[in-house]
Parts: sequence; C-alpha cells; structure tokens
Amino acid sequence: MELLSSYTFLIVAIGTTILSFAAGVIGTVSVIKGQSLIGDAIGHATFPGVILAFMLVGVTDTLPLTIGAIIFGVIAFFFIQLITNHSKVTLDGALALILSSFFGFGMALKSYVQGNPGFSNTQGIDDYIFGQAAYMLRLDVWLIIIASVASLLLFMIFYQQIRIYTFDPVYSSTIGINPALVNVLVLSMTILLIAVGLKAVGAILIVNLLIAPGVIGLLWSDRFNIVLLIAGLSGAVSAFIGTYISTAYAGFATGPSIILVMSVLVFISMMFGKRGLVTRKFNLRGDAT
Amino acid sequence: MDKDIIKVNDLIVAYDDEPAIWHLNMALKENSITAIVGPNGAGKSTLIKSIMQLIKPVSGEVWINGSKSRKALKEIAYVPQKGEVNWDFPTTVLDVVMMGRYVHKGWLKRPNKKDREIAMSALRVMKMEAFRNRQISELSGGQRQRVFLARAICQNAGIYIMDEPLQGIDITTEKLIIKTIKSLQQEGKTFLIVHHNLDTVEEYFDHAVIMNKSVIAAGDIQDVWTKENIDKAYMEMGAG
Repeated sequence: MELLSSYTFLIVAIGTTILSFAAGVIGTVSVIKGQSLIGDAIGHATFPGVILAFMLVGVTDTLPLTIGAIIFGVIAFFFIQLITNHSKVTLDGALALILSSFFGFGMALKSYVQGNPGFSNTQGIDDYIFGQAAYMLRLDVWLIIIASVASLLLFMIFYQQIRIYTFDPVYSSTIGINPALVNVLVLSMTILLIAVGLKAVGAILIVNLLIAPGVIGLLWSDRFNIVLLIAGLSGAVSAFIGTYISTAYAGFATGPSIILVMSVLVFISMMFGKRGLVTRKFNLRGDAT
Repeated sequence: MDKDIIKVNDLIVAYDDEPAIWHLNMALKENSITAIVGPNGAGKSTLIKSIMQLIKPVSGEVWINGSKSRKALKEIAYVPQKGEVNWDFPTTVLDVVMMGRYVHKGWLKRPNKKDREIAMSALRVMKMEAFRNRQISELSGGQRQRVFLARAICQNAGIYIMDEPLQGIDITTEKLIIKTIKSLQQEGKTFLIVHHNLDTVEEYFDHAVIMNKSVIAAGDIQDVWTKENIDKAYMEMGAG
C-alpha cells in the first residue's frame, strides 16, 4: 500500500489510466462497427517502426520511437486498404496478413539489432512488446496525456458526426457529414493512442485497451454516451489496478496485468450486465429479447 | 405541380464496368408523390443513390432545385433501406429521430429542448411516442420504418426520397405511412419512393417513373400506368 503514495508509481499510473480511458472511449466506435481487429493489426504493425526508429537514432528515446510507430501504423493501414480494395482478399484476411508480416518483420529486426555489437542499450526494446510501465519516464507520461486529451477533445468536438456516422453511414453522408473524414479521424486517434501506449502496454496487447472497454460498456447500457462513459471508466480502473500489480510485483509486465484485470471485468459484465447470462436467467419477466 | 424540383439528365452509372443505369432522363414534379417502379436490377436504388450523391455516376447531371451543389442535398430527407443501418448501435428511438435535427444544428451545437419537441411530435405522427426510450434493436421491421420516417419528418425537408419503405412491414404501418405521406403532400412536400408492389401503385401514387436501366415511361399515373408500359419494363428488357 506504500506504493500508492509513491511519486513514481502515481506518475506512471496516471499515464496508463488516462491512456486507457481515452482508448476505451475511442475504441468503442470500432467495436460497434465490428472492426476491432483493425486496431490489433495496427498495434502489431507499429513494432518494426519502433525498431527502425531505434536503428536510426541509436537510443531508446520515446519521441523518435513513437514517431516510428505512428509512421508504421499509417503504412499498415494503407496496406490494409490497398489489399481489400484491389484484391479479392477480405478484411479479416488482409488484417491477418498485415499483422503477422509486419510483426514478423519487427521481430527479425529486433534479433538483428540485439545480436549486433554495433547497437548498444538494446534491452529497452523488449518493453515495446509486452509493456513495462515501471520504466516509463516523465516524458512518456506527458506524451500519453497530450495524446489522450487531444483525442478525447477531438472526439467531443466531432461527437455528433461520429455518432450518426457509426449508426447510419449512408444517412450521415446525405445530411452533410463526410464519412471519409470521420473514418480518418477515428483512425488517426486510434493510431496515435496505440503509438504512445506501446511502451506501457506493448504492441501485442494494446488492442485490448481499445476493445475490452467497449465490450464492457455495451454489456451494461443501450445508450451511446453511457456506453462510452462505462468504457472509459472500466479502461481507467483496469489500468490503475494493473499498473499497481505490475509495479508491486517484479516480473509482472504491465500490459498483461492490465489486460487480466480487464478480462475479469469483461467476465463479470457477461454474467451480470444488462444482457448478461445470469441477469437474463433471473429476470425472465424483463425484456424478451 | 408544374415545377420540376429534381432533374436527372442523361445519367450513366456503372458498377465494375457493368451498367446499372443507361442514359436515364427524368424529372420529379414538385408536390407529387412519385413511384419508381421496375424489376430487380433495374437500377432503382442506384438512381436515388445517384441523386443523393452517394454514388459517383460515369456521366450525367442531377439538378436539385436548380442547383448541382452538395448543399442542395439538405433539402432532401433520405430514408435508407433497413439493411444499411447498424442495428446493434446502442441508441434509443428518440435519439435516432433527433438525428434528423442535425442539418439544422451544424456540427458543434447540441440539440436543445425545441429539437426534442420537434422529434417528439414527429414520433407522435408515427404513433411511436410510447417507444421513445426503446433500444432500436428491439423494434419490429414496421416500427423501424416508422422511426426512419419520423427522423425524415424531423429533418423538415421539402423533398423525401425513400428506398422501398414499404418492404417487409405490417399492413397497419403501411397504411399509416401512406396516410402520413399524403398529409405531408398537403403541406407542400414532394416524394420520390422506390416501390415494389405493382398492385398498390395506382392507389398510393399520383406520378410514376417506370424504369429498367433507363426510363420506359414517366409522368402522371393516369397516363403512364398501362399494361403495355409495365410489360415493357418487366418482360422485354427484364434482364435482371
């Protein structure tokens, strides 16, 4: 419990908590659209960007590595578009291809770098796979806060458009909303949050911050704004507890710890949420859906 | 009823080199209730989607109120086919209807009390008031269509374009929708509706566009609704 008053822990926990709140809110859009795995593919695809950035600058500084991640996130998305628009490969096929090939490329680069005496201080790179919040610096936390607050602000400004577009894309374009713009907006926020969250949660598991909270929210409410709020809060709570666990017990990576807490919340929601299994069993008189 | 409120000139639309609409010309008379009729694959939905600028035509022009700009679309309330919507979206009936107010609010302003009242009165017209807090996925096909029409009414546009609004709904809803459309016509509104049931065309509509890739016949229902024209659309060119 001493940890709770530790300055370092608090700084790190604030970072992961805000990140998970923002990721929970923004990720809910793709959960509703049934496109959650785009985030997964992009999350994995950022990894080679991190390594290449490290190879260029020679140090594991957050800023260049984050920029590398963003660039590769964008490249991955363009490849996904290219494949789905110009071939018979379906979206899930394209996502699987991009996810594995980009991540494989990243792992190959990583072993090259770590086996090469020309590069030093390579141990920090591993943190980008599973995340290690304990090694986060103040700059890392600031980046997370800036990206999260900016994303949430944009989300609030474009709230009406995002809401109408997600529900009814065709109608939204007939009333003057630009669907392509909304899509790019949501995607940019997603890539940004993935990139700044990599060091804390890691490339493999970061997608969970985007998906699990939305799933939890949808299990508790039928209102878009309340779903978003529950998503944000459940993300934040999981991140705080997960970060605590990983800081308190050496050897627990942050990503897995947060995801485990989130999974417990998902399970509880599936049982007891508004449409939960237990709720339905004991509330048969309620809505008959 | 003399003014052409929408004009389509020499429209060609193709999907993957396959023409869906071929040299089509038509005009929508102001204050009319016009049916678009034709066999499957005749390009009916494609025509209204081209008017709504949801599809980019190969060539041709669409004029709305004498304008070709995107802004003119705000004069149209579009009622989509049911399948085009994400029904799992967490939202209530009232929220969906309120979306119709967006055109009048711009993108930063939130809907206020007055918008809510307008939405509620639109729901009243469609007899869906009691369902206002219902999650949309819990509605029947007919109720969903009523909500869409309520949203269109809420938009308070001059022209309504509807894609098969009477498809797969109960007879009570069908009668209510037609009654509402006729009373909105009294208020000066214009309707362009894709319709599939040939038996009810004469009863529901005063104008018709009979088409199969291009227009077979169009105009006053009395003049165009002949066996000859219908056969021509459904038999001779019915390559559906």
